[in-house]
Amino acid sequence: MPEILFNAFSFLQKKLKANGFDHSNVTIDVPENHSVIDLIKSMDLDPDGIEAVFVNGKAGDFEYIIKDKDRIALIPPGTPGPHRLLLGIRPGDPIK
Amino acid sequence: MSKIIRINTKERTFNYSEPDEEFAGLGGRAFTSRMILKEVPATCHPLGKHNKLVFAPGLLAGTGAANSGRLSAGAKSPLTEGIKESNAGGLAAQKIARMGIKAIVLEDKPEDDKWFNIVIKKDSVEIIPAGDLKGKGTNETISKLWEKYGKTGVICVGQAGEQLMISASMQLADPNGRPGRAFGRGGLGAVLGSKNIKAIIIDDAGSKRVDIADKDAFTAANKIWSKALTDHPVSGEGLPAFGTAVLVNIINEAGAFPTKNFREGRFEHAHDISGEKLSETITERKGVVSEGCHPGCVIKCSQVYNDKDGNYLTSGFEYETIWAFGANTMIKDLDDIAVLDKLSDEYGLDTIEMGVTIGIAMEAGVVPWGDGKKAIELLEEVGKGSALGKIIGNGAAFTGKAYGIDRVPVVKRQSLPAYDPRATKGVGVTYATSPQGADHTAGYAVAPNILSVGGSEDPLKKGNNVEVSRNLQIATAAIDAAGLCLFVAFPVLDHENGVQLIVDLLNAQLGASLTTDDVVALGTQILKDEIEFNKLAGFTKKDDKLPEMFDDSFEPHNVKWGYTEQELSKTLDFK
Ligand code: SF4
Repeated sequence: MPEILFNAFSFLQKKLKANGFDHSNVTIDVPENHSVIDLIKSMDLDPDGIEAVFVNGKAGDFEYIIKDKDRIALIPPGTPGPHRLLLGIRPGDPIK
Repeated sequence: MSKIIRINTKERTFNYSEPDEEFAGLGGRAFTSRMILKEVPATCHPLGKHNKLVFAPGLLAGTGAANSGRLSAGAKSPLTEGIKESNAGGLAAQKIARMGIKAIVLEDKPEDDKWFNIVIKKDSVEIIPAGDLKGKGTNETISKLWEKYGKTGVICVGQAGEQLMISASMQLADPNGRPGRAFGRGGLGAVLGSKNIKAIIIDDAGSKRVDIADKDAFTAANKIWSKALTDHPVSGEGLPAFGTAVLVNIINEAGAFPTKNFREGRFEHAHDISGEKLSETITERKGVVSEGCHPGCVIKCSQVYNDKDGNYLTSGFEYETIWAFGANTMIKDLDDIAVLDKLSDEYGLDTIEMGVTIGIAMEAGVVPWGDGKKAIELLEEVGKGSALGKIIGNGAAFTGKAYGIDRVPVVKRQSLPAYDPRATKGVGVTYATSPQGADHTAGYAVAPNILSVGGSEDPLKKGNNVEVSRNLQIATAAIDAAGLCLFVAFPVLDHENGVQLIVDLLNAQLGASLTTDDVVALGTQILKDEIEFNKLAGFTKKDDKLPEMFDDSFEPHNVKWGYTEQELSKTLDFK
């Protein structure tokens, strides 16, 4: 089973605590072929409440299949906008 | 807003004038930068009689527009020796605007060593002896002035500005009468100090709100504007809950959190100094998690941080400050970092510059890496005015020279802030090319499609980051001119009519018919003015670069900087 280093930030920390999970620098085992979205669901988190995932320090994909020794971090909406663009979390939305 | 107050600090006289056509439509940074370009000889000594210190509220200041209480201060910077605009909250901007004052300009320089305060009221200006405030920290200065004048706007210097140190800030009274807000960057406190002015008191008693050309349209636009700010997850939830320090964990995760004087991108103890930890500590100690730095702020990213015994320690504790005194110096105790922030506010020092400078002192072995208590003692030297304190108070480049350190992260002698340029290349391009010197806020605001930026950028690659930086710098300059807090950029980015909302507010207030293109043109013009001043001061494209320490590879992503002078020269190459 892949072993990962897991983090969740901001409002997600309270939610995870309430769901009975740790959130900071935790080592956890995930099943083979588990995607980020599977991981999110396994922690009873609502995927809509998560804006971005960092996979090994880079903004990644929710469909990404987790590998052994990955570093995964979840971020809820609320990261200051310029950083979202500059960190590659999401494209700049069109402003009409 | 129509009058300009000019104060001659040598003769201790003043006069009122009307702005001429060139200045009439300008506010905030657009005003200060234009005036510095037009009236200050670019090659003058920044602490000499030819430099001027200009304060101008933004165009929306004094109206009821949410988050519009920001004040610009401009001068030739004693730190960068180029043009400087610094921007701050606090009570002053709205009060200045309500008195119908477009700008306050401090000129000339005294030949004696007497110190004065300037008291500006609705129909009067007084220049009166500073008395026993000389030598006092900003906390005591503001308290005494509030005892005497009531809840006024105060802009003042502490011991650092009095000693003309080039990292000196000017501190402003926040709504609780504390020196929690600052004109931090570029050493403008030394310019106020060079004119022997301890404090400027802004008392708007008897003034009304500023005139609004179309009141109904303004009220309607402001309603949508405030809602856009409070509905957005960043400005409505993230910033009020965690302040800007919410970025500690995120930038650390991205591997862009400069640690041990920019050696690597992750700090082992980031969690201990994170926004989440900060918020938890504040709540435990019964501080205030969220407060505004001026009336009318609906985002409220500021806070009150108490010590272990529940007594007030500091406020306005920002991401950049926590990084500078934290990861950059390897100090992991939030209380030590809070004391360093408090001392910086008290002496009137730029926290980013001081954090980087302490890092340089650690490189030199003056204090050990990660030793918070020793770092506090070192900063106290600035307040004492000792020889060591004078080295530290003059910033990172000066301290690097004093100790023969070659690893000094500055551009145009100003310290780099809290985002490593190798791992966030768009920010790095701004550091290298901004006429302000290394400055993160210079390229903070994003209005992508208006400025024709599409798609997200890979922060680790060059990609379109030159274009992104250019557009961010233009948008930021325009927001500074409007007098809006830069954090409005977060919702503006996401709201489908974000920039139009700002334009609607301006049009209703001024009775104008500006378009979003005009806003872009305004931002561009500000940058052109600033680049022109720097050129006259002797800056060339060769000054638009990062120091060679950034040629080294940077973990965890193993990236280098890698931009050539030619690539960077395209950033602000306006025709
Ligand atoms: S969001 Fe923060 S910096 Fe901006 S006006 Fe409010 S308190 Fe001041």
